[in-house]
Amino acid sequence: MSRAGRLALGALGIALAAVFALVASSAASAAAQEAKRTIWDGNRTTPAHLIPLRDENDEPIIPTETDPLPYSARFTCGPCHDYGTIRSGWHFGAMTAEKSGRPGEPWLQVDAKTGTILPLSYRKWAGSYDPKAVRLTAWDFTLLFGRHMPGSGPAEPPDEEVLAHPEARWNVSGKAEANCLACHNKSGRQDHSEWAKQVLRENLRWAATAAGGVGEVGGMASRLKETWDIIDGPNLDDHEWAVVPSVKYRTADFDSKHRYFFDLNYQPSDDRCLACHSVSPKDEAQWSADADVHSTAGLKCADCHRNDLGHAIVRGYEGEAAETGNRTAESFTCRGCHLGENAAGEKSVIPGRLGAPAPKHTGIPLVHFKRLSCTVCHSGPKPKEGFTRVRTSKANRLGIYGVATWSTDMPQVIEPVYAKDAGHKISPHRLVWPAFWAKRTGKEVTPLQPAVVEAAAGDILKPEERIAQVLIALTQVMADDEMPVVVSGKFVFAPNVDGGVDAADRPGAKADGPVFWGIRKGGDVLPLVPDFDPAAADKDPAVETRFQEFLQALGTVAGAPGRPVIVVKKTLYRLVDGSLDMSEVSAELAEAAGPGWLVEGRFLPLASDFDLRTVTAKAGTEQTLTEEQVALVLGALAKPAEDTEFIYISGGRMFRLDKDGKLEAGELAAAEPVTWPLAHNVRPAQQSLGWNGCTDCHSGGSNFFFTKLKGEGPLLTKAVEKRSASSFMGLGGLFQRFFGLSFIVRPVFKVVLAVCAVVAGSLVFLAGLLALGRLAGFLEKR
Amino acid sequence: MLFTIITVLSALGLFAGLTFHRFWTTREEAKSTILYAEIFKKYLAWLALRTIQSSRQASPKAWWNYLKALPLWRLPDLEKWLFIGLYGSFAYLAASGFFFAIFVPRGLFGYPLVGHVMAGGLFAACLAVIVIFKGRNFISVPKPVNLSLAVLDPRKMGITAARVRFAAFWLFVAAGFLLTLSALLPMLPLLRTPGQKFLFEFHRYSALASVLAAMIFVGLKAFDAARP
Repeated sequence: MSRAGRLALGALGIALAAVFALVASSAASAAAQEAKRTIWDGNRTTPAHLIPLRDENDEPIIPTETDPLPYSARFTCGPCHDYGTIRSGWHFGAMTAEKSGRPGEPWLQVDAKTGTILPLSYRKWAGSYDPKAVRLTAWDFTLLFGRHMPGSGPAEPPDEEVLAHPEARWNVSGKAEANCLACHNKSGRQDHSEWAKQVLRENLRWAATAAGGVGEVGGMASRLKETWDIIDGPNLDDHEWAVVPSVKYRTADFDSKHRYFFDLNYQPSDDRCLACHSVSPKDEAQWSADADVHSTAGLKCADCHRNDLGHAIVRGYEGEAAETGNRTAESFTCRGCHLGENAAGEKSVIPGRLGAPAPKHTGIPLVHFKRLSCTVCHSGPKPKEGFTRVRTSKANRLGIYGVATWSTDMPQVIEPVYAKDAGHKISPHRLVWPAFWAKRTGKEVTPLQPAVVEAAAGDILKPEERIAQVLIALTQVMADDEMPVVVSGKFVFAPNVDGGVDAADRPGAKADGPVFWGIRKGGDVLPLVPDFDPAAADKDPAVETRFQEFLQALGTVAGAPGRPVIVVKKTLYRLVDGSLDMSEVSAELAEAAGPGWLVEGRFLPLASDFDLRTVTAKAGTEQTLTEEQVALVLGALAKPAEDTEFIYISGGRMFRLDKDGKLEAGELAAAEPVTWPLAHNVRPAQQSLGWNGCTDCHSGGSNFFFTKLKGEGPLLTKAVEKRSASSFMGLGGLFQRFFGLSFIVRPVFKVVLAVCAVVAGSLVFLAGLLALGRLAGFLEKR
Repeated sequence: MLFTIITVLSALGLFAGLTFHRFWTTREEAKSTILYAEIFKKYLAWLALRTIQSSRQASPKAWWNYLKALPLWRLPDLEKWLFIGLYGSFAYLAASGFFFAIFVPRGLFGYPLVGHVMAGGLFAACLAVIVIFKGRNFISVPKPVNLSLAVLDPRKMGITAARVRFAAFWLFVAAGFLLTLSALLPMLPLLRTPGQKFLFEFHRYSALASVLAAMIFVGLKAFDAARP
């Protein structure tokens, strides 16, 4: 090799060595940094989080600048707490999780108008549908359920998802990153309602800033054009409607170096957990509701439901440790903490963690511990006739406050339903009956989205809306103390602020009473069209003045079938060129009376028989559909695709049209109720089942085994599923009744056994003494 | 699992012991040699032969005739029904208890369990009455013994088949007492989980003891009855 070659080779070697050293040093530095993030130094305090805020472009935020961007958790919290690791946690990783874990509460898509209660989950839980399978994109899912999500997950989809669905508005709204403050904010400013509001305004990238009280956010991304981008800045042409979201930071919480003080908890406080995980009996007063016994004892949710940086939160069920590989989870099951046992009953952990007392379980036969989970006796409300209806944060939209009432009564969540879990132990569950429209192909059922059903149904699902339109129109000409109503059967219907009607009982009225439009004044309902003779000379002129007002008001009803008219004793009142016109009715209208619509010479009542019949039938119930409506909608759905079968599921039954076009009910696996185990609230020991003895459960008519569950759903029908509690346990009701009755004679049985034992034992003892005495020579043989 | 192994081994051992006792006391070839291996071979040959003979003779009709010939039916009414109660309940208790303990991982449950509990009550009551009125017939105690090394010599202990049968009776009664006790105590609000677990095992082993005692008793009694 030449000298030049040797020099070149040497230089190359030195260069390679330098590169290698640099890479090695970087790797070592990264490893040290990684270790710094994940390894606890042993200090038990939470450091003050006075830190610079950074936006989604990783630029520092100067709060006093014009139009600063919202802070980004990825770049503000990420430098110390690896964002990618956190994102894989339980609350964020449903879309990508390999293991689904024990079933939890599914997301319930509820739509009252179409009677939809559709259980959804990205995790593969029995009874829940994959959102993708029902054509819900991450965008749809975020808008539906983002109100009770802590960001990330579907609200921060990968770029492939964003590109695959250009109709979504991610570029306008931004993505909702994992909202660290949703759980860790100690400040009382953390506002869950604000989070929900921002999500529904599509202000996803701003939501954490607003909800955390870091800054005030105005504007609505939902009103911006889909072409708007964050780099476009404020909309200079519109300061009223399509206002670009903007942040006004709370400058008082910044120091002179523009560092923001986050008041944080290492362990989230219970309030933060309960914002999304509250469950309360539906009709219980707040002051009388008790907290979980662990909370009362001073424990926090996060004391048991722990996690490391990966946020794989310990859920606390038996078998979780084996499933996740996290052996620590064994310590935080009921058995782990109180007995020191793992799921197999081995003494694998040290009991008494967090001061858990050892249960006595005096006199409880062993079979109970083999066949029942701890929660059967200790958790949820005690079994009562007809179960307990509860409302949950996620299902019933609890914890979101404002001018409007956000929470809903639907769906009906029932507990405690005792059913076998994956470990074949009976445990208490919450239950929801699904309800949805679906396309059925063989055994496959594909739920339809409410929008699809509504589009096909046309006016069938809008009777309340149509009646409300008429009533709302009439309110324009009512005095302050007057309210237009329609009276049908035993109910008086008045318009509500949601564009529907509210039904009130009409004491003393008959179900088949006449239908009339009226005015509610105080407690009285007066007819809209009073009984008078239009031909009389002494008629009250004020009546006709009001008729004119009514007709003018009715003329504003959007989509009215014709011109408004009022017929009184063969006199037709109508507006001609804005003035009241009276004329004699034609022969065709001889039977007409009251207010109505004149359509091509025919008189139509203000509301059709179908509308009134439908609204009256549903009045005073929670149901939102009648069988007639379901039959009509099924017919409408089938019209464009006659070879496809459409069904509706409600109350545990499947409904479809038979060959004659009539509605028939049947059974279908998809109509089965969806259940998920419950663990809280844990009751005090004295309120546990069995405290008062075996007959708490084992009696001829105990609610534990024999209370009946009736399928509930949006459809008003008698064709609903009915089941006894024991059927969910997979136990024979007859046997349990017989076994329960045996406890009537059990006290006598125990006395008999005791007497027999005393007799046999005494004689054995005597025989033994006798033999001993003989052997010793104390007793002479007779 | 341990209980199953102990049950199977002890039942087989006892069966072998009883049959060997019969072989030893009735067959001349048993004493034709002093070599244990030879004796064992002859015992096995005899056992095989008897098994074949018995299986050839066994039939529902033969069993029925055997049952009909039992002296039980000739007892006074009250006594007869008392024994029927005892034998019937014990047979059901043993069958249901051991079948579920050995073959069903879940253990006894459902209607068989309810039957087991009811039969248990009947068994305890019959046993108590029988031991009051019939226990005296099973008292046969040895003469006073003198303190010498001779007490350790089995040949001088006076162990006879009759005395073993009596001992089996009292073992059966004692096991019955323990069974009753271990069934009763878990039903009372006295024991915690470890106590319940202990009594559950105790109940099983008491049941095994009672079955083994019954086997000894019945085996020896049947042998006596069959003797010319």
